[in-house]
Amino acid sequence: MGAEEREGNEWVSVSVVGHDRPGIVAGVSKVLFENACNIEALSQTVLMGQFAMIVVVSLLKGASIAGLKEGLEALARERDLEIHIHGIDPQEQLPYPADETEPFVITVRGEDRPGLVDAVTAILAGEGINITRLGAEVVPVGGRQEYIQIYEVDIPNDLDFARIQRALSERGAEIGVTVDMQHRDIFRAINQI
Amino acid sequence: MLSSEEIIRTIEMLKNENLDVRTCTLGISLRDCVSSSATELCARIRSKIKKVAGAMVPVCDRISNKYGIPIVNKRIAVTPIAAVAEALDKKEYVAVAGTLDQAAHEVGVDFIGGYSALVQKGFTQGDRNLIATLPEVLSTTDHICASINVASTRAGINMDAVVLMGRAIKEISLATADHDGFGCAKLVVFANMPEDNPFMAGAYLGYGEPESVINVGVSGPGVVKKELERALEAGKKLTLGDLSEIIKKTSFRVTRVGELIAREVAEGLGVSFGIVDLSLAPAPTVGDSVGEILQCLGLKSVGVPGSTAALALLNDAVKKGGAFASSSVGGLSGAFIPVSEDVNLSEAVAQGYLSLEKLEAMTAVCSVGLDMIAVPGKVDADTIAAIIADEMAIGVFNHKTTGVRLIPVPGKDVGDKAVFGGLFGEAHIVEVRNVACSSAFTGFGGRIPAPITSIRN
Repeated sequence: MGAEEREGNEWVSVSVVGHDRPGIVAGVSKVLFENACNIEALSQTVLMGQFAMIVVVSLLKGASIAGLKEGLEALARERDLEIHIHGIDPQEQLPYPADETEPFVITVRGEDRPGLVDAVTAILAGEGINITRLGAEVVPVGGRQEYIQIYEVDIPNDLDFARIQRALSERGAEIGVTVDMQHRDIFRAINQI
Repeated sequence: MLSSEEIIRTIEMLKNENLDVRTCTLGISLRDCVSSSATELCARIRSKIKKVAGAMVPVCDRISNKYGIPIVNKRIAVTPIAAVAEALDKKEYVAVAGTLDQAAHEVGVDFIGGYSALVQKGFTQGDRNLIATLPEVLSTTDHICASINVASTRAGINMDAVVLMGRAIKEISLATADHDGFGCAKLVVFANMPEDNPFMAGAYLGYGEPESVINVGVSGPGVVKKELERALEAGKKLTLGDLSEIIKKTSFRVTRVGELIAREVAEGLGVSFGIVDLSLAPAPTVGDSVGEILQCLGLKSVGVPGSTAALALLNDAVKKGGAFASSSVGGLSGAFIPVSEDVNLSEAVAQGYLSLEKLEAMTAVCSVGLDMIAVPGKVDADTIAAIIADEMAIGVFNHKTTGVRLIPVPGKDVGDKAVFGGLFGEAHIVEVRNVACSSAFTGFGGRIPAPITSIRN
């Protein structure tokens, strides 16, 4: 698919949620293909048996949003899924241009309890920091189970990262967890060739 | 995209396994400061160090915070002072040392290396002046480190210098007797001294180095030990080849950290990035010890039969992993065995497993040499010179760097303990056997010729 074929095309975001089972991705992609959509980006995960997927597609020549919507609604009824679609502007994908932010990783470690995500995200939202990826899991660390949250965030260059680090660390101490924020490159340097 | 495992593993290395950048060392050329006036020279040195290194500590702290990696020591290495102060009188060397000490204090670094001379083939007057002032300088300054290169594979061993250094070490020990001879911990006698070594006490800026340059030394004995433990606990049958592979991969990770930090600090200061020193540098805390790695490899204690072979395996694997991780490798690059700075080595001495002779054998296959070894204060200067000569021979004839950092501890003997504090740790006094049996040999003086490089047996 050459860039020129997609230029000026309409872009649509399709989100799919439901009970996980084989065939969901196949069903969605069949409808997309039949409606002349090209998948530009896709992210899918399964969490405790619940399936979630977001797909960004561009509409090729001959495609119509109405046709796509109809096909997906039929699939949703047939497979008991929640499917939403809406148009997006590819020019306005990021709140900050990529070259005006630095990627950092925030880790929260300690005992699981209500309010941890709220405590961290309140600080990030207050500073206008965008979260690009967030996950939480219980993992074995040094022979014991530990709860860990991992946030990947983009820190705008005009913000003082040290001040955000301090704010997160102090808030973590108040609620009894360890919160660290480190530039993403340290993880890349150590783990990737 | 980063995986959760990668993120968690990295955090573990940083938080619980003592992974850190052991030293970030800024090399500064003082060649443009040369003057025949001591006042002028001192003013230029002070001004240059403040100009180049003034931002070093804040820049290192910012980068350390950014990546969550501790930079344990910030240091400066300068052009050998024997050359910079060549035109001065002996007593004026002490004033130059005072200026260096003050400048180091003003920019906030813990040590400044380069009170040095290279005398492997002979002395200039400046070299003699510098060596003569070592006892006064190392007993009256806080931040100065000294190093003297007395031998090289191309020049052989300058035995006159070796004898002189035996005496200097005794004098420094006596001049710092109230600190268990601590002044000697700030002096290394070298063979094949590297020009880009970031580690103290041997750091200096060589004549082939740039105007100013950042060299870093990483740490990581704790990380290597944990990786080995994890693999062994998994219960799979492993060979020494498998264990070497694990060390190699870990060394790769550790070295990548060093290079990332070094490049960014260099950029932040507007100076060149030099090298990453691949050394495994222990710290005097449990869990950050080269001796503990040898125990993981199946030895009851460092010093028992098998120690030299195990250390050779470790040293080689560290170099292989590190060389793959960075194209800018230099300095000492290998496993260190500084006795007082490695709690496990120090204990091995106390329990009788580790002797001076075994340490000497081990230095043939690893980095640095006889390092941070406290010996009885009664050992005479010629015996110390003869021990230096032996260690220099290992370096010269095996085409590698070796150094000697012996500390005769005044008033203490085998069974006693010397306490230096901080990263220098504490050490049980190591027995020196056959004292006062070598003075006729060292007394010949002159030079042990450079070795032949063919017929290598």
